[in-house]
Amino acid sequence: MIEIENLYKAFGSQRVLNGLSLNVKKGETFSILGKSGTGKSVTLKCIVGLLIPDAGDISVDSMRVDVGDRKSLFRIRQMIGFLFQSGALYDSMSVRENLVFNLTRHHRVKHTEARDKAAHYLTLVGLGNFIDRMPSELSGGMRKRAALARALVIEPQILLYDEPTTGLDPITSAEISDLVREMHSKFSITGIVVTHDILCAGIVSDRAGVLKDGVLKYTGTLNELAGIEDEEVKGFFRNPL
Amino acid sequence: MRRFFEHIYDLTAFSLRFFKEVFIPPYEVSEFAGHLENFGSRSFPLVSVIGLLMGLILALQTKPTLARFGAESFLPAMVAISVIRELGPVITALVVAGRVSSGIGAEIGSMRVTEQVDALEVSSVDPYRFLVVPRVLAGIIALPLLTAYADLLGIMGAFAVMFVSGGMGWQLFMTSTITSLSIADIIPGIAKTFFFGFIISMVGSYFGFKASGGTEGVGKAATSAVVFASFLILITDFVLVKVGILLFE
Repeated sequence: MIEIENLYKAFGSQRVLNGLSLNVKKGETFSILGKSGTGKSVTLKCIVGLLIPDAGDISVDSMRVDVGDRKSLFRIRQMIGFLFQSGALYDSMSVRENLVFNLTRHHRVKHTEARDKAAHYLTLVGLGNFIDRMPSELSGGMRKRAALARALVIEPQILLYDEPTTGLDPITSAEISDLVREMHSKFSITGIVVTHDILCAGIVSDRAGVLKDGVLKYTGTLNELAGIEDEEVKGFFRNPL
Repeated sequence: MRRFFEHIYDLTAFSLRFFKEVFIPPYEVSEFAGHLENFGSRSFPLVSVIGLLMGLILALQTKPTLARFGAESFLPAMVAISVIRELGPVITALVVAGRVSSGIGAEIGSMRVTEQVDALEVSSVDPYRFLVVPRVLAGIIALPLLTAYADLLGIMGAFAVMFVSGGMGWQLFMTSTITSLSIADIIPGIAKTFFFGFIISMVGSYFGFKASGGTEGVGKAATSAVVFASFLILITDFVLVKVGILLFE
């Protein structure tokens, strides 16, 4: 479903991705673990075409992202939901309007239908009583939930998560992780989760990989990764609460 | 200095994109209406005060000098020509740039640093078409109207001074004002405001898009937008005055 071959990306003299390759199968959820600044978010942004790689191939559902024109990029993006680290809710719109906006613009859904659908997905993530609030009136966890609902409402085949639990308390983190797992099972979504939260990765992912020196140095199930003799990998599994 | 020219180069490329994007649907009509209200109606109180004060101060300052040469009766004509040709457009543009350009810079800048611009792009919404085009169109339409309103208030301010200090009647004042004005005064005065409106919105949008590095970046975007917009307004005014002289005189 998502294939990345030899991806290179540098910012000035700083090389971030150094030949990264990754293959995520349909219906699978893959977590990318790694320290801050190792290029996890950069990888996600290359997949949706927000960043242009220096070299390498990226395909989503057999469509090339890196060489595609605007139309094919548009088609790819319609298949993808993206949960940003900060939530990135449009702060000039209410929570419901955030969802309606995505639906009505490109998914040919009528406004009244979009409003009902938005309410349904907000209820699904536990925000049924907050649909007409402004994003600034929500807590960090609620904003993440609303952002998840916004990503889900377009019924994507793929969901990309950039640090879904960063900045949240352990209880809310676990709730968000459970919610992600539940949504993936319910809607058969393929996912890539970028995180350094091993508990989150444990709940949501089928497989995971550790990003180090610009490549996925180790991949496997979390149990397999836990047995790897590498100080950095061990660091993730140390004291996971 | 190098940074300044880099901004000029990038801003030119950013601005030229507008002339392509403005014709491509979907047309953001409701966004345009909202920005027109923000640019236009919400600038009304500020422009009202500035317009009135402009006429009052100009009349108060020049009246004694004209009186010394026995040319006090030329005051309505002098104020009208100064306000309509130069002071009205430039002062209104500078004041509105302070309010609107910084606002656009901060608004788009905060959207940029909180990844809302990326979220638009991922949702297949072109951020330029959605955020920049309606704002620039609103600027191009609202500023000429605001300037015409400020010009009118400026002339009223001058009349107030003449009425209170010299007892000049409304009819005499208006006759003197209107007969002194020609099309060569009005057209360049209004025409330049289309350029100023474009500059105000475009520069704010450009610095908003360039913002990075959290709240500090947003602050910088807002400040740079006002400084750059004011500078460009004055430079453009100089060029347009020269063009106006070549065309109309």
